[in-house]
Amino acid sequence: MNCVEAQEVLPEIIDGSPNTEFQTHLKSCPICSELVSDLQLIASEARQLADADQPADRVWVRIAAELRAEGLIREPEAVPARPVLVPNAGRSWNAWWLVPVAAALLAAGAYVIKPKPAPQVANNPATTTPQPAPQVAQEQPPAASQPAAQLAAGKNPPVVLPFPQEVANSDQNDQQFLDEMSRQAPMMRATYENQLRTVNTYIRDAEAYSRQNPWDEDAQRQVMDAHQQKSMLYQMALDHVQ
Amino acid sequence: MTDPKQAKAREAEAIERAKQGDEAAFETLYNLHKRRVYSLCLRMVSNPAQAEDLAQEAFLQLFRKIGTFRGESAFSTWLHRMTVNVVLMNLRRKGLPLVSLEETLETDEESPRKELGAQDMKLTGSIDRLQLQRAIDKLPPGYKTVFVLHDVEGFEHNEIAEMVGCSIGNSKSQLHKARLKLRDQLKFMRAEKAEKT
Repeated sequence: MNCVEAQEVLPEIIDGSPNTEFQTHLKSCPICSELVSDLQLIASEARQLADADQPADRVWVRIAAELRAEGLIREPEAVPARPVLVPNAGRSWNAWWLVPVAAALLAAGAYVIKPKPAPQVANNPATTTPQPAPQVAQEQPPAASQPAAQLAAGKNPPVVLPFPQEVANSDQNDQQFLDEMSRQAPMMRATYENQLRTVNTYIRDAEAYSRQNPWDEDAQRQVMDAHQQKSMLYQMALDHVQ
Repeated sequence: MTDPKQAKAREAEAIERAKQGDEAAFETLYNLHKRRVYSLCLRMVSNPAQAEDLAQEAFLQLFRKIGTFRGESAFSTWLHRMTVNVVLMNLRRKGLPLVSLEETLETDEESPRKELGAQDMKLTGSIDRLQLQRAIDKLPPGYKTVFVLHDVEGFEHNEIAEMVGCSIGNSKSQLHKARLKLRDQLKFMRAEKAEKT
């Protein structure tokens, strides 16, 4: 084997099993021997570069912000325990007013979280209720803190709109509901009162968290769930009193 | 020094907690692998800002899929492969060749083969890490990809061929030429340094 032949087989054998003919040539040729030795040195030194560099701290900050925005990082305190709704024995009574309230509650979850169509939504009195929508808009984070990917995609954060009037009057409805229970099913009043308190806390927590984290889809689902649970509570009362 | 068994146990625990959305667990996994991921990105693109973006993207892709990780392969292997995919995708998007075209364009005159028989400075001994990094940065994109994947990251030729879309023979040939170019470059740097002093 001469130098040219050795060079031809070198890419195949340098990292593989030794070739007797090639080894014999290396013993007799200092130039090829030096070449192989240099190439092997480069390969072995290159391994030292595998974890030679450290990223700046900002990389983790950006990753964490994105994970939070995508709901992959969950804040334990932001996920309140869901109320356990206890079904109870039925008793018929006239509670016709529960029907629209339950329907409004069910719709509320879908209504409060919807994509922000345009900034004028908060300022357009024709599309909002008398509730102070601009205040909600102020609670959104500044554009600079929004995930770059979502901004680049032209996505706007969802906006929390005021409830329909039926739901905005939920305190009044809750009181009417409990008064009715006192009259028609006094033994169940305490149970419903507890359930109502739990589900209202759940709604408040979920809405507060959703306002603080307008990009968090999980938070939005929690708001939906919370309203649906309250709707179920009304529906259960309706079902077994009719 | 950290016991490898303890490190593995810590990693496994962090993976399970990360699946539950625990921020500290994500951070633990990030800290365990950040140097390897960032260094790979930096070697491949030779630009710190781009390397940061790519490392971020690789970790995000991994964390988004962490719920599907069942431990059949090592977590580091999974992350490593994902990082390579992110970088290669980025290079493809920019239209950079993953396999150098120089192989077909080189004339005999330009070929590293001309070195045979030349009496020049021997590299043997040690190589300055910074010089090696600079020499890698100067490699044409295709050579750089194969060299970094094989010699720095430890992938086999069959894996590289699959990842970059070339034959195993091509991968071996590109690696060899990359090493020859690095040898030239390192010798040049040494000669330059010797001249200055």
